[in-house]
Amino acid sequence: MKMKKWGVLAVAGALTASLALFGCSTTTAEEGAGDEATEASYTLVNEGKFTVGVSPDFPPFENLVDGEYVGFDIELSKAIAEELGLEVEFKTLQFDGIPAAVAAGGQVDVGITGLTITPDRQETVDFSDPYYIADQSVAVMKGGEITADNVDDLLNTEGMVIAVQSGSTGEAYAQENYSNATAQAYGNATDCFAAMQSGQADAVCMDKAVVEQMLAEAYTDAEVVKQVATGEEYAVAVSKDNPELLAAINEAIATLTEDGTIEDLTAQFLG
Amino acid sequence: MQNFIPSAKLNDKTSTASKLFLAAVVCLLAAFLAFATPTQAFALETAKCTAQPNAESGNDIMGATETRITWEVQLAENETPTSFSLTLPEGSSCTTDHAKLTMLTGADLMTRNDLDATWSVDGQTITAELSEPATAGAYYRVTVYDVFFPANGGSMSLVGHIGLSDGTVAEVSDIPAIEVVGVTIFEQISQSLKQQDWVQAWNSNKFCKLFLDPTIMVTSFPVVFWGFLQALAIVACAFPLAIPVGFILALMRMSKFAILRGIASTYVNVVRGTPLFLQIYIAFFGLPLAGIVIPSFPLGVMVMFFNSGAYLCEIFRAGIQSISKGQFEAARSLGMNGAQTMLFVIVPQTVRRVIPTMTSEFILLYKDTSLLAAVGVMEVVMYAKTIVAATGSITPYIVAAVFYLIITLPLAKVVGILETHLDDTDGGSGKKKRKSKDTRGAKSHSTVIPERLDQPAQGNKGITPEQQPSL
Repeated sequence: MKMKKWGVLAVAGALTASLALFGCSTTTAEEGAGDEATEASYTLVNEGKFTVGVSPDFPPFENLVDGEYVGFDIELSKAIAEELGLEVEFKTLQFDGIPAAVAAGGQVDVGITGLTITPDRQETVDFSDPYYIADQSVAVMKGGEITADNVDDLLNTEGMVIAVQSGSTGEAYAQENYSNATAQAYGNATDCFAAMQSGQADAVCMDKAVVEQMLAEAYTDAEVVKQVATGEEYAVAVSKDNPELLAAINEAIATLTEDGTIEDLTAQFLG
Repeated sequence: MQNFIPSAKLNDKTSTASKLFLAAVVCLLAAFLAFATPTQAFALETAKCTAQPNAESGNDIMGATETRITWEVQLAENETPTSFSLTLPEGSSCTTDHAKLTMLTGADLMTRNDLDATWSVDGQTITAELSEPATAGAYYRVTVYDVFFPANGGSMSLVGHIGLSDGTVAEVSDIPAIEVVGVTIFEQISQSLKQQDWVQAWNSNKFCKLFLDPTIMVTSFPVVFWGFLQALAIVACAFPLAIPVGFILALMRMSKFAILRGIASTYVNVVRGTPLFLQIYIAFFGLPLAGIVIPSFPLGVMVMFFNSGAYLCEIFRAGIQSISKGQFEAARSLGMNGAQTMLFVIVPQTVRRVIPTMTSEFILLYKDTSLLAAVGVMEVVMYAKTIVAATGSITPYIVAAVFYLIITLPLAKVVGILETHLDDTDGGSGKKKRKSKDTRGAKSHSTVIPERLDQPAQGNKGITPEQQPSL
């Protein structure tokens, strides 16, 4: 019995060691491959591919329509990939896990999913130059007691529940400005609105463009009661270990801004 | 009417009244002094002044932890600002990094104009000198990052000064105080850990920093602990409720009536054949749409026990059916009716047999509470998630794993012990006994079992003396 236990331990130890070694060897191999394959000196998770982490529940920035990724960020990702001479590939991740996934590496090269630059996030990942500037918005169901006139007082009371997307700037805004209310975090934007519609939450606090899109398409019985020009800058999140990729992306964004692509996209999706 | 007021009370009243009057006079004087000395600036109005919550979760603003202050002020029409300054209370600090001065204009103040300013910090005061005088009577927002309030917290009153184009300085004293809570012991430990050399060395390894950052571990432990209590409360409510549900379903599944059997098997098959995650979504987002609004904790408990009931039903059914048919026959031959047989003979034996499987089901149920995180129930994973979202480190998930293991490892051990115990008493020696008896006399079951019932001491531990029905 004793022997058996030690045996198991030894096997487990060996497995861990081999995993660790394997992990090391693959990264070095990839680095080598990346260097050879592309002229630039950045590394990629998959050779020749620009792997983008998205949370496709944030229309009009990213959304799934019939299983296809659509939206502003998706088109932008494609344009950046084209500038870099890479093939774009999307990977669905939970929104609040994207900065961590980018920092950890191995899954995605970048996160382009309506990520606002915040000092907190800047501690884990690097951000490119901003490509879009967003504002916050508060929406409630029509006909409720909360209106545009009393939203600041009424929503900031004990017992009020504000549905927010976990890890979003809307969550931070609700916690700061409606500190007496509870900011209830959900995994994605759709769940936030579902929670409000079903009465689990009194309001939704989220990026303005997303709220407007949600109200226009799915939740026509809700209305915007407050808008705040918070001026949050959306940018591409890149691992801190990959400054060359960051530089290349900044260059691509500069080109896309100059040739009007970003302006066209803004008009197309947010106009 | 005054006669009815006791004199003491009257005194009280007059004294409070005089106190109020005095206070009012003092206030007026203070206000007069405050406004008289710098300039006449009654029109200045602070719209809001808030600090970003910086606790691991929730809305608290903690001392000695980085935060961001947003101060918004509306100027009167004839006032043109040239500088903005904000003085933090004693013991606070801030930096000019990322600091921003914005003018908001347009309908609903939705147009932002970032203003060019030179920032400087002098002690507790941060000042923005505008390069050129800005628009008069506009709405301004000052954002200051890297703010640290004093460690022991308290009510923080800030003072603002706005330099105007006519050379005067207007003091803004109506800034609402910011409530700051003192840092917790865990936060202090985390801060001191951050300074340690070994922690810095440890964190320089990417893997260690992502998964096992000691500073985040310390701060997330107390936060995730609340989720642990919540998860325990959910199973503690759900599991006892699931047992009768499961038992009744089990009896229904074995019933003579086809309708009861049909209802129970449909329920069990549907619940066991669909993911719990989906059931949670249906219950949380579907029921309220149908007009049934239940708070999230009881609703979470309900979903868990209805789900667990289906699994327990199968466990109980298997348990009951594992009792040899001879036991039924023997009990009936002794003149017991169906209910008595069930209650006094079958169930006591079943309970012993199903306890290990039930414990496993308990473990499963406890782990499944994590699924409730998706619908906003604040349990272990949810709390861990909020910290992961804020810090970008996976460490809180590891802390969450520890909180699951605290319960599941000891229970798994208990299951192991119970199983060996059951093997020894029931499967092991019991079987041997039966076999030896069979070989000795080749008796039929119906004759063997009554013997067991009568003489429990003779080695058959299938029923313990306590469970032994008095016949």
